[in-house]
Amino acid sequence: MTSLSLILTTGVNSIILSSMYILLALGFAFLFSIMGILNFAHGVIYMVSAFLCLKFTLLLGMNPWLALVCTVIIVAIFGVLLERFIFRRFYGDMNGTIVACLGIIAVLQNSVVITEGYVVEKIPEFAHGFMRIGAFSVSWERIVTLLVGVILLVLVLLFINRTKQGQQMQAIAQDTEGAIFQGISIHGIAALACIIAFSLAAVSGSLMGSYLSFSPYMGDNITMKILQILVLGGIGSINGILYAGLILGTLDASLPIFVNAAAAQAIVLFVIVVILLFRPKGLFGREV
Amino acid sequence: MSNERISTNISSWNRNYQFIIYAALIVVLALIPVFISSPFIIHICILTLVYIIATTSLRLVMTSGQFPLAHAAFMGIGAYSSAMLSKYWGWSPWLTIPIGAILAMGLGVFIGFPFSKLRTFYYAMVSVFFGAGIVQVIVAFGKYTGGSGGLAGIPTLFGAASKIPYFYFFLALAVVSVLIMYRLEFSRFGLNLKAIDQSYLVAGSIGINEARNRVIVLGIGCFFAGLAGAAYSAYNMGISPTNIDMTATLWLVLYVVVGGMGNFAGPIIGTIFLYMVPQFYRGLKEYTPFLTAALLFIVIFFIPKGIVSLPKLIWQKLKGRKTKREISQ
Repeated sequence: MTSLSLILTTGVNSIILSSMYILLALGFAFLFSIMGILNFAHGVIYMVSAFLCLKFTLLLGMNPWLALVCTVIIVAIFGVLLERFIFRRFYGDMNGTIVACLGIIAVLQNSVVITEGYVVEKIPEFAHGFMRIGAFSVSWERIVTLLVGVILLVLVLLFINRTKQGQQMQAIAQDTEGAIFQGISIHGIAALACIIAFSLAAVSGSLMGSYLSFSPYMGDNITMKILQILVLGGIGSINGILYAGLILGTLDASLPIFVNAAAAQAIVLFVIVVILLFRPKGLFGREV
Repeated sequence: MSNERISTNISSWNRNYQFIIYAALIVVLALIPVFISSPFIIHICILTLVYIIATTSLRLVMTSGQFPLAHAAFMGIGAYSSAMLSKYWGWSPWLTIPIGAILAMGLGVFIGFPFSKLRTFYYAMVSVFFGAGIVQVIVAFGKYTGGSGGLAGIPTLFGAASKIPYFYFFLALAVVSVLIMYRLEFSRFGLNLKAIDQSYLVAGSIGINEARNRVIVLGIGCFFAGLAGAAYSAYNMGISPTNIDMTATLWLVLYVVVGGMGNFAGPIIGTIFLYMVPQFYRGLKEYTPFLTAALLFIVIFFIPKGIVSLPKLIWQKLKGRKTKREISQ
């Protein structure tokens, strides 16, 4: 591999990783700023979506795109139920959230382990073949993932800024009581936020499932990444999430070339710690 | 970190009753190996004791308002340093265990200074990342630390024949550690910590040096965490990153929260309830975590302040008084 193609491949990988991370982090940020819940279980939702998509394509022989849609629908409904029965109880309560999320993680992870075992598999591809530009080739798979990720990202951003519901979400995030005074339905918007957040996680899980091979425990890693993005970017700032996601995606795609995977993780983590020590609010954070 | 003020006051029971109960408990524990000969149960008790040391030290740090979400990583520092010193340099575990604890304490103090600038949520986040970073560093130096497979072949304290000497060793270790932490919590120092937790502004205004106290308590907490980890590694003859990663820290926090953060005995009860009890329904094999999760949900939905608050809750219900949650709703 020439160095140019290495750079291009790394570039594509980093954009893919960044867009997936940003999708996940955006969903997580919705849940956090609207309901005050640190959804530690977000990574597990990602993992469960990947497994669901796998089941749909392998067992039922569905077209991968159809499986993706079905997975998203199921996970979104599950998210609404979670919000209604569990998360609502713990708005703003950190201790209860930790316990409840760990319970959810235990149940979901164990269900996957029971039904799936420790076998590591991949979802059949969404798109086949390779695209070639000169000496550089990249699979259509990755291009498709990249496109879907970026399109979804743009859609979500448009939703937040241009639609009424999106602005209601911003209002709740800025000042919950003020939003109630304006007649905004907290529970309704929270349900909508859950749908969006869990759908984004489902899409990320399904797409990444065909890109990486996976295990029932990959959700933990993803949750850690989401937390890194959120804190680095700063709470309460969408721009922060975008930039932080881009930075982290690029680092995660490029560092493992030079050092081994664990050392790359360690470097990224310690760099984040140092940044936070000097700027606790994160790069773009506003409020506490 | 929650919006509600968690009370960390002394329990309202008479202190003498508490003392008698604790003493009786220790006597009962000391007699366990006499009556129970199953090595498996002894093993469970030993691990419970290890986790009791870890969770009690975690709670001690939490009384100052900090959420040190890197606790299992400090256990790992103690464990790995003790393991590597005794395995590669041939030092006796009796020497390396305290050294491991001191190293963990040193690292805790070292990061305690910069971290003490941050409050609640941000402190929790840097702790999480720092802890995860430590684990990754341990895995990255796989040549020395055995990588993600773990380190094995660590010299032991009493040989591998019987678990009974280990049981008494850990019992003594746990009793001494818990006693030290008890005396720390119910001293002027402990009151300072609680003051910092309740309002750092007022505490600062009466002359409590917030940063210094927070660093000291973090050092103490990390010392006991390292001690627990190092002793565990010498007993287990092996240590692996899965014992000390983020999930392990979260479960330690879980033991404390479910047991009850407001009471000194909370982490002990939480550890017994969440670690020891599930071992006895292990017969469910792969369905075990479901039952544990069910227990978690039951506790968090109905007894939000932890199991320790159960007697008070029952008494309130019997007397027909409303709980704070019902009043606020």
